[in-house]
Amino acid sequence: MVLESYHAVNFAEWIGPAAKVWLIAVVALLIAFCLLRWLLAVLRQGPAAGTLSTMEFLLAAAADLVLLSPRRTLALAGLTIKESIRRRIVIVFAVFLILVAFAGWFLDPGSNQPARLYLSFVLTTTSYLVLLLAVFLSALSLPADIRNHTIHTVVTKPVRPSEIVLGRVFGFTAVGTVLLGLMAAISYVFVLRGLDHQHDFSAAAREQLAVLWREARRGDPTSGIAVSTDRVQNHRHTVYFDPSQETVDEQGVRRGAIRTDMENGHDHEIRYVVPVDGEPEFSCGPPENHLLARVPIYGKLRFKDRAGKDAEKGVNVGDEWTYRSYIQGGSLAAAIWTFENLREEQFPDGLPVEMTLGVFRTHKGDIEKGVPGSLSVRNPATGDEAHVRTFASREFQTDLQVIPLEFQTGDGRTINVFRDLVADGKLEIWLRCVAPHQYFGAGQADLYLRARDASFAVNFVKGFAGIWLQMVLITGFGVLFSTFLSGPIAILATGGALLGGLFSDFLYQLSQHKVYGGGPIEAMIRLVTQQNVVTELPPTAQTTVAKMLDKAAEQWMWLIWHMLPDFRVLSFSDHVAYGFDISWGLLALAICQTLAYVGPAFVLAYVFLKSRELAQ
Amino acid sequence: MSAEVVIETRSLTKVYRDFWGRRKVEALKALDLEVRRGEIFGLLGPNGSGKTTTIKLILGLLFPTNGEALVFGRPAGDVEKNARIGYLPEESYLYRFLNAEETLDFYARLFRLPRAVRRQRVFDLIEQVGLQRAKRRQLREYSKGMTRRIGLAQALINDPELLLLDEPTTGLDPIGIREMKDLILHLREQGKTILMCSHRLDDVQDVCDRIAILHQGELKELGRVDALLKVRDMTEIRATGLSDEAKDEIRQVIAKHGAQLLSCDNPTATLEELFVKIIRESEEHPGRRVRGVT
Repeated sequence: MVLESYHAVNFAEWIGPAAKVWLIAVVALLIAFCLLRWLLAVLRQGPAAGTLSTMEFLLAAAADLVLLSPRRTLALAGLTIKESIRRRIVIVFAVFLILVAFAGWFLDPGSNQPARLYLSFVLTTTSYLVLLLAVFLSALSLPADIRNHTIHTVVTKPVRPSEIVLGRVFGFTAVGTVLLGLMAAISYVFVLRGLDHQHDFSAAAREQLAVLWREARRGDPTSGIAVSTDRVQNHRHTVYFDPSQETVDEQGVRRGAIRTDMENGHDHEIRYVVPVDGEPEFSCGPPENHLLARVPIYGKLRFKDRAGKDAEKGVNVGDEWTYRSYIQGGSLAAAIWTFENLREEQFPDGLPVEMTLGVFRTHKGDIEKGVPGSLSVRNPATGDEAHVRTFASREFQTDLQVIPLEFQTGDGRTINVFRDLVADGKLEIWLRCVAPHQYFGAGQADLYLRARDASFAVNFVKGFAGIWLQMVLITGFGVLFSTFLSGPIAILATGGALLGGLFSDFLYQLSQHKVYGGGPIEAMIRLVTQQNVVTELPPTAQTTVAKMLDKAAEQWMWLIWHMLPDFRVLSFSDHVAYGFDISWGLLALAICQTLAYVGPAFVLAYVFLKSRELAQ
Repeated sequence: MSAEVVIETRSLTKVYRDFWGRRKVEALKALDLEVRRGEIFGLLGPNGSGKTTTIKLILGLLFPTNGEALVFGRPAGDVEKNARIGYLPEESYLYRFLNAEETLDFYARLFRLPRAVRRQRVFDLIEQVGLQRAKRRQLREYSKGMTRRIGLAQALINDPELLLLDEPTTGLDPIGIREMKDLILHLREQGKTILMCSHRLDDVQDVCDRIAILHQGELKELGRVDALLKVRDMTEIRATGLSDEAKDEIRQVIAKHGAQLLSCDNPTATLEELFVKIIRESEEHPGRRVRGVT
C-alpha cells in the first residue's frame, strides 16, 4: 500500500491549523459574496434601494439558515426517500447482487492474495455503484421538480429554501446509507464465504502425523519434519508437528493444536484429539490471519548511496512509478527507517518488523530463491549497530521478521533492544541488499513495526464509512449544482467534481506543467497528429497559441484543484484490502474534510435557490 | 394598508428577460390591485394577459421588476405568509409517485400540523373532494379531474385564510365544475378570501364578487361583477301571470295599464359579452382604460 502524506498526519496536530485555513477561506468567500451582491443590487436599484435589499437578503438568509424546522426538513427528506425508492433505485441494488453473484466466476481464490482481491472487488464495486447513484439522484431531483413545477406547491408552503436543500441532502444520504449498509453486509458474507475453505490430509500424511505424535510422546524430537495438506484453491500448506499446546482432560483424552505455514496470505489451525488408548484424529480449521487490520507504526525513510553517503533517494531503476527507491546490493547502500516514540510496553514479544520489498534483478540469478538481504538495528544517538538477521526476500509479499527484545550478535554481544539501541524512543532499522548487482526497492510504507492488530470487522465498517463520506460529499455537490443548473448539466458538473476529486493529484501535476505532453490543447494536437509526448512541437504560430491557451487552462486547473476535495483522503479501500487499520484519526480527518465541503455547499445551494425565480 | 385588504399590489411590473438580460416581454405593467378580506376576486384575461404572472408574483414564485406585492401586509417573498395561504396551480403540480393520502400528509407536514390533526384533515379532505376510493392509488394513475381534486385538497390542507386558484375548473366535468363552484362559494361563507383566475367566464360570473380584466399586461377593467354587467341605456320589464291578450295589451298600453310588474330594471349582458367587448376595444385603442366603472 502506498503511504500518502495524509496517512501519517496526527489529527490533533492537524485540526487546529486546518480549521484556521478553512475559516479564513469561508470568511473571505462570504465577504466577496456580500460585496458582489451589493454591487449588483446597487447597479440595478440604485445605492439606497440596493443597499437596503442586500441587507434584507442577508437578514433573511441568516434567518433561513438558523431557523430551520427539523420537522419540515424531515418531511422533505421523507419525500426524497420515497422519490428515490419509487424511481427504482432498487435497480442499483439488483446490479450489485448480480455482480456479486457472478463475481465468483472471475475472482480466483487460489491467487497469491485472495483476500486482497475479494476485498478490493467488493469495495470498488460498492464505491462505483453508490457514487454513480449519488451523482444521478442528487443532480436530477431538484431540476426535475423545477421542470415539472412540483416545486411550486412546496415553496408556496411555509418552507425555507434551506430546508429544501437540507431535506434533499438528508434524504439522499439516508437512501445511500441503507443501500450501503446492505451492500456492506452482503460484501462481508461474500468475502468470508468466498475465502472459506478447509484442507484435508491424505492417508499417508495422517499416518505420518500419527507417527510424529507418538514420537513426540516418547520424547523424540519432531521438528523439521514437514507434512503437507491436500491442494485446495490452488495451494497446500505445510505442517510441522508441535506437541507444546497439548492438554489432557479428566477422562484422559488428549487435545492439541498445531498451525500450518502461511500460504496465499493465510494459515489454518490443525486440531487433534487423541482418545484414551486411541490414535490421534486430525481436523483442519477455517483460514485465519487473512483478514487483518494491522496497526502499523511507520518510520521516516532515508537512504545511503553505494558509497555509504547520505542520499535523498535511492537508485531509479527506470520504473515510471517512483514511489519506491532502490538500493544496490553488495554495497554500502541502505534504506533506513527512523522510528520515534517507541515504548517497551508496546512490544512485549519483540519488535515485529513487517516489510514488503520490491526486487530489481540485473541478472536472473537463482530465480527460485529470494534475493538475500539483511536487517540491522541501530541506535540513532550513539551509532551502535547490531545485525539482526539475513533473510531471503519474497518479492512483493509481506514478510514478518520479529526482532527479539534480547539477542546475541555474531561477535557474542548480548543486546537488549530498548536498553542498548533505543534512544529517547528513537530507533533506526537498516535494510541492505546482500547480493551484488541486485537491488531492493523500498518506499516509506514498505517497512513498519506491526504493534498490534485491530478488529477486521470494525476496519471493514470503517472502509465502508469512507465510501459513505464520499457519497455524502457527492450528494452535497449534486444538490448544490442542481439548484442553478439543469439536470444533465448538473450531472456533468457533479461527475466532473467526482473525477476531479479522484484525480486531484493529476490535476495538480497538470496545473503545474509537470505532465509530459503539455496541457489539454497541446495534448489534443499530439493526439490528432500522432506525436509522442516528449518531442517538442514545431515552433509555429499554432504551437504558440496552443501553449498560451494551455497556460490559461493551467491557471483554471490550479484554481479548481484548490476548490475540489481530494477524494483519496476519503477512500480507505486500500487500507481494508491490504489489511491495515484505518486509524480513528484518519477517519476523523476524512469526516472533517467532508463537513468542510458539505457545509459551504449547503450555504451556497441555499443562496442559489433563494435567488432563483422558480416559476420562470 | 387597510386591515380589510388581504392582497395589495403597487405598480407591480414584470419584465421577462432572456439569458443575456435582454427584454423579451413586459408581462405585467404597473398593476395596482387590492383584494379585500372575505371576497372572491377574479382575474380575467386572454392568454398572455398577465393573470398567472400576477398570481406567481403574489406568491413569490417570480420577483417583480418594479413595484411590490403585499400579502397580509408582508412582502410576497416572505415565507411566513405562506402559512395562511392555499394555492391551487394551473395544473396540479403534484408528486405523481405519491398516493392521495401520502400527498396530503406530506403537505400537512410542511405546516407542522400535529399528527392527530394531520390524520383527521387528510381524512376529511379526501372525503370532501370525493377520492375515498382512490386514496391509495399513485397520482400517476389519476385522471385530470381527480388530479384537480387532490390539488384542491392540498391547497386546503392548512385551512388557509387566503386561497389562490389558478384555473380551478380546468379539467373538471360539468358536475365537477358545479361542485367546485359550490365549494368556492362555501369557502367564502366560511370567511375565506379567494383570488382566482379563469378562462371560463361563466365560472367567474357565477362566483366572483369583483373582477379585474387584464390584457397584454395592463389592467383594463376592475369592479363589482354586477355593476360591470349592468346595461345603463336600456330598461328591462319582467312580468308574470299575463294572458296572451294582456300581453298584447301591454305592448300597446304598458304605460297606462300595467299588469303586476315584477321588475323594472336595467338588463344585464353576459360576462362573455362584456369580456369580448373590452378586449376588442383594447385592441383598437391600446394602452387606454376602456371604462371607468368600479
